[in-house]
Amino acid sequence: MTGLKETEPVTAAATRLEAPPAMDVARRVASVVAAAGVCLTLDDRHILQDIELEVPAGGTVALLGANGAGKSTLLKVLATLLRPSAGRLRLFGGDVGPHAAKLRSRIGLISHQPMLYRDLSVLENLVFFGRLYGVPGPRERAEALLEHVGMAHRADDAVKTLSRGLTQRAAIARALMHDPDLLLADEPFDGLDAGSAAALEALLTRLRAGGKTLILSNHDIRQALALTDRTVVLRRGRVVLDRPSRELTPDAVLKEIVGP
Amino acid sequence: MTGPLGQIALLAAKDLRVEARSRQTLGLVTVTGILVIVVLGLGLGTQGQSPGVGATAILWVAYLFSGVLCFEKTMAMERHDGALAGLLAAPIDRGVIFASKLLTNLALMLVMSVVITLVAVVLFRFDLSAAPGGFAAVTLLSMIGFATVGTLFAAVTSSSRLQGGLLAVLVFPICLPLVITSTQLLTGMFRDGLALDSPGVGILASFDAVYLVVSWLAFERVLEP
Repeated sequence: MTGLKETEPVTAAATRLEAPPAMDVARRVASVVAAAGVCLTLDDRHILQDIELEVPAGGTVALLGANGAGKSTLLKVLATLLRPSAGRLRLFGGDVGPHAAKLRSRIGLISHQPMLYRDLSVLENLVFFGRLYGVPGPRERAEALLEHVGMAHRADDAVKTLSRGLTQRAAIARALMHDPDLLLADEPFDGLDAGSAAALEALLTRLRAGGKTLILSNHDIRQALALTDRTVVLRRGRVVLDRPSRELTPDAVLKEIVGP
Repeated sequence: MTGPLGQIALLAAKDLRVEARSRQTLGLVTVTGILVIVVLGLGLGTQGQSPGVGATAILWVAYLFSGVLCFEKTMAMERHDGALAGLLAAPIDRGVIFASKLLTNLALMLVMSVVITLVAVVLFRFDLSAAPGGFAAVTLLSMIGFATVGTLFAAVTSSSRLQGGLLAVLVFPICLPLVITSTQLLTGMFRDGLALDSPGVGILASFDAVYLVVSWLAFERVLEP
């Protein structure tokens, strides 16, 4: 234990992480996400309707909307966890259908759930997911990432012993293990205290500055506008607003979220 | 990236490591199995029996109830904290997740069946000396089929609100051919002194093969994030 506090911001001393050799940034293509007329129907309910979304490499998009608007579902579709009922989804220039498993190696997913095994240590979790993604030197990569997110001192602790804030940091490290080109964050601030939220915000800002493509679903409109360069609002499964974040005010976004 | 076999081994090793840490599944299913054996053994008075119809049926009841618990617990581990979504988001085939979960369930079920059988031998003097190899072979073949069906339907019911009760309702009838065939085989071997019956073994092996293929193919559809 090094004495770092849970609410301490992500260490500024953490240096830029070297991507594993196999994860070359040259893989990036002009359009990371290209959704055309994407629909999703589950049990006769139209969850997503005619979604048009194009995200360039390095773009950061805030996905906003009321509960049940379809944000999480759209992120699951983009993560290839759910298959669209209609429309065309291309990721990194390729159709998702036949190449879903391959494309997943370039996507990182963060959710309000940590997607970690609570009985394993943080390091064991990261090494496991690193091996699953074929990351070379998974242990070294995991240790570097834990340093990066300010969690090196808790590397050997079981996930179940961590607070919500630390668990979320561990989850972010997991999502970054394979140095994904596209990071999908589904309400990652959910349930975090102020200190942990600030730490996460700093981390996302640094990822954005590092050129990661980020799609962030969030309930805090002001925070989402600050963290992204584009805002998309969903209402009842449809895109009702798609504009640069700097042109929007929280009130204007709220009006679109609530609707007429 | 490691191949499918390496991925299956990686996932199964992770499952067993989690089980070694939490000790939730094996302890529970073994205690459940022992309780069933004791209650039914005392109730039906099977002291000193060879594994004929009565004794084999008692063992099967214990296997079935313990097995359903085992399948539920190992799948629940994946649902906890959204770990399953983490696996589904990884660049692996969903059949790999099925195969690894089957291996885990099979390993736990085999340990459980050894313990339960030993308890039956010690407490109720089930006499397996006539054909211990045949008993092991029939049990192993039956366990493969049972674990295959259980793993598939545990994935189905884990995304359902009904969960526990539904899994037993689905798995028990489907496994009826396994129970009937293995009971007949063991009765033939131990009570009637017959050799291990080839058609019966063929039925068990066919059941295993069919459900292995079907489950591998179906897992892609039934596993929801």
